[in-house]
Formats: sequence, structure tokens, C-alpha cells
Amino acid sequence: MTEWQRKTPLEWQKYVTKEVNVTAAEKHDYKGWVLTVDPVSANIVLVTFLEDGKVSVLVVLGHAVQEVGIVKEADDEMREKLALLFMPGESQSHGQ
Amino acid sequence: TAGRSAQPPTDKPGERRMAEMKKLYGVGAAKIQAMETTMQLNFDKNCDKKQPKYWPVIPLKL
Amino acid sequence: PATLSSSVPGNAVQLEQEQQGRVVMRERYLRSLSAMAGHPVRFTMYEKVNVTALFEASDIDILNFHVSELQTPLGVQRDALLRCSDIISYTFEL
Repeated sequence: MTEWQRKTPLEWQKYVTKEVNVTAAEKHDYKGWVLTVDPVSANIVLVTFLEDGKVSVLVVLGHAVQEVGIVKEADDEMREKLALLFMPGESQSHGQ
Repeated sequence: TAGRSAQPPTDKPGERRMAEMKKLYGVGAAKIQAMETTMQLNFDKNCDKKQPKYWPVIPLKL
Repeated sequence: PATLSSSVPGNAVQLEQEQQGRVVMRERYLRSLSAMAGHPVRFTMYEKVNVTALFEASDIDILNFHVSELQTPLGVQRDALLRCSDIISYTFEL
């Protein structure tokens, strides 16, 4: 297991809704906003909001993560955008 | 099933899994388990029907 | 899953925070997988292997992805299983 995979959920949580640089296996580098870290696989979901309104999602597999560096914090607007992504019916009631 | 008192009772796998989920997810355990069950059923059903083969045949990373 | 890591929480408050964090992070990840279903996904794999396929489904331990229309260097495979241990990253657009 890598250092990244051995982190605790509270440690992973520090990266959620931050803009980060991820260095991965075979010299791959990625940048984006952390939507989440899957606590089962340690996979990191990076989101980039594109100019045409589309959303690019890039996931780095937990076992391939070598280094994660925080670039900056999200402002309220970005936090809101991230929180609503993939969530069903934002105007509907809570739950399923 | 009489005469088994020498053996400790074996847990039911479902109960043990729920206990494990409770420990990991607390009050949210039922919600996560419901999502996971749906997802796993979908995966299993897909694989039964489509019989996908591993690609590549030999793992890239051992 | 054997890969779940866990700290040893000093108290009940920390345990609850950790559990709530797990719930939010896991739910977001599972929803990202649902959102990916039916979309073309580009997989960057070890040994400089790059392929595209339509994402179909994942097991809950995130060990295998079922994909369809997998574009391999030798042609299209209608249905395939990718080992998550072979994958470095994957990307899609919504």
C-alpha cells in the first residue's frame, strides 16, 4: 500500500474542495478541484469546469497516486458547484 | 441443530457486514449499503448477461 | 473491503466526524460512477496503454470496471472487464 492509500478519511477530507496537483505513476500530472476521495479505493475525483459549460471529470486511481499538493481553497461559489455536482434534483427534498 | 454448544455461534455474513458498515459509516451506513447493493446487483447482472472477458488478458501491473 | 483504512479515534466526536466524512466521500464517489454510465471514458493505463470505452458498471470494491465498445489497438471488444489495478487514471466529460 502507498502512503496515499494509508491515509485516514479525516486526512483525505482535507483535500476535498481544494484545487490540487496530483503526481501519479509513470510521470502523469493532473490538476483540478477535488470532488471527493473514495474511502474504499482512495481514488481521487478531480473536476474542471470548462468554458462551454461542460464538466471534465478525471479520476486518479488510489494505487497510482504519488503526491498531492494543494494549490488553493475553494470560494463559496466553487464549493456550491462541487456540492451539487452529481446530486439528484437539487431543488427537491433531501434523501433519495 | 442441537449439540453444537461446544462451538461458538457463527455469525451470519449479512449481519457481520452490516456491523462492519455501521462501524465505518455510523448513522449513514444504511444509505451507503443501499447504494452499494444496487450497484453490485447491476454489475453482477451485467456480467451474467454479457460475460465480459478481461482486457488485457494478462494484467499490465503485477 | 480490505483496503479501508481507519484511524483509532480518540473519542466519540472524532469517530462520528470520521464516519460522516466517509459517508459524504463514498456517496459522492458512487454517484460519480452512476453519472459515468453510458459515457465514453478515456483510460490511461500502465505501460503507456491508452484506450476508450463506454462505461457500464463497477463492482463495489472498485476492483473491476465493466465497459463496452472498448477500442483496443487490435480492434473493438464488445464487452470487457478492466482491472482497476491496471489503470492510472480515467476521464470523461458531462
